[in-house]
Amino acid sequence: MRSNVVRVLVGVALIAAAIVLLIVLKDTDNGTNGGSEKSAGKSVEPASKAGEEGAGKKERAQAVPTIVIKNGKPVGGVVELTYNAGDQVRFRVESDVTDEIHVHGYDLMKDVEAGGSVSFAFSATIEGVFEGELEDRGEQILELRVNP
Amino acid sequence: MTFLPFAHALAARQDLPIPAWLFAWGASIVLIASFFALSIAWREPRFEDERWRALGAGVSRALFHPAMQGLCGLFGVFLLGVSVYAGLRGTEAPDRNFALTFLFVTVWLGVPVLSVVFGNVFRLFNPWRAVGRAAGAGISALAGQRPAHLAYPAALGRWPAAAGLVAVVWLEVVYGASGGVAVGLSPDTAAVAALVYSAYTLAMMALFGTERWCETGEVFSVYFGMFSRLGFLGVRDGRLGVRRPLSAATRWAAMPGSAAVVIASIGTTSFDGAQEGAFQGAIESVFERLADAGLGLSATLRLTDTIFILLTLAGVALVYAVGVRGMASGRGAPPFRTLWTGFAHTLIPIAFAYLVAHYFSLFVFQEQAQFTYLLSDPLGTGTTNLFGTASGGIDFTVLSANAIWYVQVGALVVGHVVGLTLAHDRATALWGDYRMAARSQYWMLAVMVTFTCFGLYLLSVANG
Repeated sequence: MRSNVVRVLVGVALIAAAIVLLIVLKDTDNGTNGGSEKSAGKSVEPASKAGEEGAGKKERAQAVPTIVIKNGKPVGGVVELTYNAGDQVRFRVESDVTDEIHVHGYDLMKDVEAGGSVSFAFSATIEGVFEGELEDRGEQILELRVNP
Repeated sequence: MTFLPFAHALAARQDLPIPAWLFAWGASIVLIASFFALSIAWREPRFEDERWRALGAGVSRALFHPAMQGLCGLFGVFLLGVSVYAGLRGTEAPDRNFALTFLFVTVWLGVPVLSVVFGNVFRLFNPWRAVGRAAGAGISALAGQRPAHLAYPAALGRWPAAAGLVAVVWLEVVYGASGGVAVGLSPDTAAVAALVYSAYTLAMMALFGTERWCETGEVFSVYFGMFSRLGFLGVRDGRLGVRRPLSAATRWAAMPGSAAVVIASIGTTSFDGAQEGAFQGAIESVFERLADAGLGLSATLRLTDTIFILLTLAGVALVYAVGVRGMASGRGAPPFRTLWTGFAHTLIPIAFAYLVAHYFSLFVFQEQAQFTYLLSDPLGTGTTNLFGTASGGIDFTVLSANAIWYVQVGALVVGHVVGLTLAHDRATALWGDYRMAARSQYWMLAVMVTFTCFGLYLLSVANG
């Protein structure tokens, strides 16, 4: 009697687990393959609107995401960029304040002048979640995610 | 909304959430392992007896020699002193100051691991115990008799340690976070807190006796001591010996307040894991509502986080209470009180698994700093290079995201199985009839599955 209950429960658990596995595995196959930038509902303006401005310009086909800093804060909130390990990370920061931009973990630092801009390009060698911030203000402007 | 300052001063690399397929695998393994455990249930308790055997007398003689005790205690006092000094005099940058990494990573996260592996090592190096014992010995020598102490109220048990544990984590992740970063406590605040805690601890030791307070109220002794019960090395009558692993845990919770300690451990770790993932949305919405009250940004943030840490603790306590209530409802079951105390130790492996799952990567990264630049330049001022390692840094590539995920999920699954093992074992001891014992364990199974799956869930939405 009791061992029957156990067996039934084991069976139910196994079936439930199998279903969950199936659904979830199926989902991830479609879902997480993107290696490019996503903005997570926040503004990432493509830096080079090459197509609109002039066909003569030999701009890069791939838009470089730009983080716009107004009054020392990122417009539209912290920008989220997602890459796969080994990808080339590229982004630009346009700032209306003078500060230093620090990408944690990768430990990259570049100064930016008020009204100026600065570009980052590096290989995504470390997996994980990293912050980019205006160092002097301690203001986070970027969340860099590198998936394996 | 992203205006809330959520950043880790000490964690330049944060964990990616575990992928959905691993979450599903982890949860499935947990369920399957659980039901498998039920079906092979043993009928006699196997862990209630420690089967302690003494190791060679030479080891014990060396370890418990007054000179050795004094030396280790002195080393503990020295390290505490260095931390306080670095906190007060060193740089304000949390990641460059010895104090924060040493206190909140090396000791707070590292000693639990050491305790499980090597037994209660903290007892040997506990700076407050060393000072308390030295003061006691001094007073005895001067007055010609041992100092008299107040009787410690037995009902109070480990409650002071439980409250202290919450206070330590609150300082670290709630108060500290308000400065813009978690473990972003400014180093001088940490130093002042350490001094205040030292004064409080020494006062309590003077009142109730050093050893008594270490057993009941001294947060670090109680907390690390709890984890040391899982391991196979233990001391009995001044001798070091080996025992059956886990067996010493079975007698840990007899003192009142012990359940509160382990619940506090699980709850505070959960909160820290959840605040940047599972709870983030809820925290932000409560924060916005409270922001209208005009308390100011920091105070509002601290208030919000305090509410959530208390809710988390209440939630963990509730899950356990429901499980215990369920067990007590069975025919011929012991009363709620007995079971509440009787099964508290079965949560220790869960608490340890939570610690590993949430802090493993932080620990591996930050210890590289601890043993390079923080050791050579403890003040972080660039003026000293004691061991020639001041220019060292953290290599964040030592752990791949996959390695972290497997350790995290592996820890939770192992913790779950060990917790179930202890629970079943205790049930066979408390219930005369093994069938009744096995039936009562559906409730504890539900409790464990809840905690483990909640732990997996927290990982799956971490830093989301």
